[in-house]
Amino acid sequence: MSHPAASLDHIRRSVPQIREELGVAPVPVRAIRDPAIYALEKERLFKKVWLKVATAWELPNPGDYKVKEMPVADTSVLIVRGKDGRIRAFHNVCTHRGNKVVPNSDFESFGRARANVLSCRFHGWVFSTEGPLKSVPLQDHFGQIDTACLGLRPIACDEWQGFVFINFDPEPAQSLADYLGDFGALFGGYPYHESTTAFRYSTVLECNWKVALYAFSEGYHVPTIHAGSLPGFRGIEHSDFKLMGPHASSTIYGAGMDAAPSTQKFAGILHGSECHKPRPDLLPPAINPERRADFQFELPNIFPNLLIHLASGCGYPGMSYFTHQFWPLDHGRTLWEGINYFRPAENAAERAAQIHVNALHRNAWLEDTATMEDTFTGIMSGAIDDMQLMDQEFLIRHAALTLDRHLEEVD
Amino acid sequence: MTDIALPAGFQDLEPLAARWARPTENERNAIRLSAAPGDFVDFDALMAPRLEALLAHLATLPARPEDPADYNALLLAAAFAEAAPHHELYGDSAQVPFSFDARRFTPDHGTEAT
Repeated sequence: MSHPAASLDHIRRSVPQIREELGVAPVPVRAIRDPAIYALEKERLFKKVWLKVATAWELPNPGDYKVKEMPVADTSVLIVRGKDGRIRAFHNVCTHRGNKVVPNSDFESFGRARANVLSCRFHGWVFSTEGPLKSVPLQDHFGQIDTACLGLRPIACDEWQGFVFINFDPEPAQSLADYLGDFGALFGGYPYHESTTAFRYSTVLECNWKVALYAFSEGYHVPTIHAGSLPGFRGIEHSDFKLMGPHASSTIYGAGMDAAPSTQKFAGILHGSECHKPRPDLLPPAINPERRADFQFELPNIFPNLLIHLASGCGYPGMSYFTHQFWPLDHGRTLWEGINYFRPAENAAERAAQIHVNALHRNAWLEDTATMEDTFTGIMSGAIDDMQLMDQEFLIRHAALTLDRHLEEVD
Repeated sequence: MTDIALPAGFQDLEPLAARWARPTENERNAIRLSAAPGDFVDFDALMAPRLEALLAHLATLPARPEDPADYNALLLAAAFAEAAPHHELYGDSAQVPFSFDARRFTPDHGTEAT
């Protein structure tokens, strides 16, 4: 941990400071409602800023690749670990005539390149996993061809703590480290890479991407929306507000809930395990700096579309952290991805307990996602022009202001 | 599924395993979503008193047991892990009340088949 808590004092905000800095006025819903805003978001936001697209542990070996469809950038992206061990990103486009090098039918898929090359199925052009064009069938039948210039088209790619980010701007205005800024310092140092057991869910929501993002960006809804899956959740406190340039974060504390009998038994397995028990000592020092026993998780919005909830086993039993991402497919359609991360189970009882905890959280997500299409329908109806936001919804206010700033910038 | 063996000491739970134990989350979801309220009541009544013993047995096994009976024991525990909240929290409803349509969620757990 290279960043002592004290060095991040400048990101902390009290409620009065949040109100002073971000304002208290209702926030217009136009950015959600207006399809023209989405067109601007594609060009001025999603094609300009760093976006998390993978984790290094998804691609552990040279030749491992992931293909991710990204309609928000009008492209398909190939993320691949080269023979040299480095992860790179390319447009998944053959430089011959534009076919996908790796065909796929889902929003994302995985594979492994044999002999560290990828071959386009259309005419057999072969590319190194590091990008260069290696061979062209019947090359001497081309009257003119410069294979040295026909490698896979690269996309800026970098890693933070094993999370792989890309930037579609050919010359990004900032490095990834600069873009993440104090967020990188706040969240850095946790052993994310050790939690390789992932339970991933996705769905296509008929709503604007910000409706889904905002729904997961506050704790105000917990006592109502989650009355079924989190009964008797006591003493919820959403505090420790932090502002970090385009990113923001805060902490969810809670005194616990009325755990059902089965949950008590499954949780007992994980809490009794050295590997899965609550590990507040592993939290970066500026997160829950007082090491309060009722810490549940840190909730940041990494602008524009990533949430990493860091729990270190202190919230949902055994859960290391969980992430959300919100990928626009169109103005009114969003691919939501939620992933629960655990350390690998060391025995079958731990595996069953993880399945239970994952199911509880998946069910809570079913409660969350139930609101989103209704919210979007309501906003599109024109019945309201503004959102009324309380203090615990400051991540929404901050994200909306940050978005406005990006859209106002003139190229 | 009519023939699903469990380890010694748990063979009385084999009818439950035949009804509920499946290797993938999608298969378990399908069974759960088609279950009647009484199915959740029965599952809980028979399984809850044995859960601690079953977990104690599973704790002696690798995360992916090789022995078929032990593997079936894990699948039974997994089925109960996912079904128990429907009895304990959701009033024996197959759906999570006031929720998104669970069939629209797509699970993808990496190397673990779903």
